[in-house]
Amino acid sequence: MRIAAGLAKVVLFAGLSLLFVATAAQAEFKPISPFAATEVAPGPPSAFAPPTAAPFQAPGALGRVFAWVFDKQQSLQRSLAMSVKSLKTDKPLAGALTLALLSFVYGVLHAVGPGHGKTIISSYVVANEETVRRGVIISFIAAGLQALTAVVLVGVLLIALGATGLQVNAWSNRLESISYAMIALVGLHLLAGQLRGVWHRWQQGAPVTVVVARDTHNLGDHHHHTHHDDHSHESHEHHDHDHHYHHAPGEACDHMVDARQLAGPFSWRKVMAVVFSVGIRPCTGAILVLVFALTQGLFWAGVAATFAMALGTAITVAVLATLALGSRELALKLGGTNSTWASMVWTTCAIGGATLILLFGLLMFSASLGPARPF
Amino acid sequence: MLPQGTQRQQFSLTLALAVAGSVALAPAALAHPHVWATVRSEILLDANHQITGIRHAWTFDEFYTAMAIEGLDTNKDGIYSREELQTLAKVNVESLKDFDYFTFVHFEGEDDKMLPLKPPIDYWIDYDKNVLTLHFTLPLEKPVDTHGKPVQVDVYDPSFFVAFGFATEKPVTLAGPDTKGCTADIALPDPETTADAKALTESFFSQLGPNSNFGSQFAQTAAIKCKDSHL
Repeated sequence: MRIAAGLAKVVLFAGLSLLFVATAAQAEFKPISPFAATEVAPGPPSAFAPPTAAPFQAPGALGRVFAWVFDKQQSLQRSLAMSVKSLKTDKPLAGALTLALLSFVYGVLHAVGPGHGKTIISSYVVANEETVRRGVIISFIAAGLQALTAVVLVGVLLIALGATGLQVNAWSNRLESISYAMIALVGLHLLAGQLRGVWHRWQQGAPVTVVVARDTHNLGDHHHHTHHDDHSHESHEHHDHDHHYHHAPGEACDHMVDARQLAGPFSWRKVMAVVFSVGIRPCTGAILVLVFALTQGLFWAGVAATFAMALGTAITVAVLATLALGSRELALKLGGTNSTWASMVWTTCAIGGATLILLFGLLMFSASLGPARPF
Repeated sequence: MLPQGTQRQQFSLTLALAVAGSVALAPAALAHPHVWATVRSEILLDANHQITGIRHAWTFDEFYTAMAIEGLDTNKDGIYSREELQTLAKVNVESLKDFDYFTFVHFEGEDDKMLPLKPPIDYWIDYDKNVLTLHFTLPLEKPVDTHGKPVQVDVYDPSFFVAFGFATEKPVTLAGPDTKGCTADIALPDPETTADAKALTESFFSQLGPNSNFGSQFAQTAAIKCKDSHL
């Protein structure tokens, strides 16, 4: 019965998260439609009318959803271009507000594509003892750094050095490769740490348990456990195995080491490594907006749009990281007070998350070494 | 402590949770386009109604245009002349080789047997102060007969970095001394075919890989067919 109820919870959770993402996307699309309408308005007269593309079509229900999303993305990008141009016309303030709003929405949707750190950040927070608050902070720093990289890259190359757009592209690709290589290294480092921890515990034969009620054993013959909470996280695993032998079989070990610490303590060094590896890859969308704004003589507008976009990206990544953390919490709760279950969930999250980061980095790095793209 | 059997069940529950989680997050990992190109293609037919090549005109979006032409006004006269843009055209068509020119020619139903193309000729770029259009001609290695099975021309970027879409007006036309009896139809994707469903599933799982084929489901396809009357 309990399993059935648990399964129902899982299905419900997955369904709800899908629904949430879907409605969020729907809600985000709505404000665009008024702008999408303005995009039909005739632009500056041109001797040659550029052809318009037919809407996308793809087979199957899923294909239709994708086709719809990409059509929206295209009209959004066109509206962005229009709003940058409108800054030069009679209503610069309205244009600026439109640009900021569109960039923000673009960022929210754009982050759904690969390369915005959502896989890395979600995996990292799940693999490590991170809270929702830290997950959100990490998402925001990474997105901000990505925006900064894009601004610096375009600013230095195009404004300071007078390079060509093609060179900006080449540099952006180089940074992308470096970023993926660093992500793979971060994954490798995390995985090595986790495996070392698992090896230690296995050698010492220490069972891993979850804290339910910390100090219920203050009285009685286990009094030496009361200093437990004063220990630094690192020392737990070495300390813990001794006193398990005092327990009679079947006795609830409800005062033992917090299984969450298996995932390793919080460290700014690790966080910065993750944030930096993600952040040095400039977002292609941001670079395109920046260069376009620059060619219109409105670099500042491009910078503002880039940061508005980063805000949107950060929110999407933070939501996904929070969802990932929510799944971990749910998985832990399903086990109730079962300590083996908790340690299993933690080991899976810790090793799985680190492995995912490593594989993702390797895969994307090898892909980024392919031949240079024509466009 | 729960009995062993329950633990095993719980482990399968973890698996279920992991699967549910990946399904929920899978669309989040999708490839998405950064460059849009509107496609107009001319199918070159010889006097015997054999396809000898394809003349493409791809019009790019404003963002890509801005990026591509930046810094190419070498004489600083504010005009991007065809000569100044020729370096860009050369870079474009030369690097297109590694991507099979995003053009896949095959007989209908023979998606796995691509007819070989020769490197592009007659390439140049037009810029209308707003967007640029890349023109180039792709000769077929051997002329292809159009009287049997229809010949299909697919235009797409497998990785879907570039989203190709046929123009609403005259996307595919026929060019040659006598094109009478020949048709070029835009083939719409058929949701019923199993081949398409298979392609979608495969692409869905391989989209993150270096050989992602996600873009194939958005392939722009033209079918060319000539009636026998001519021969």
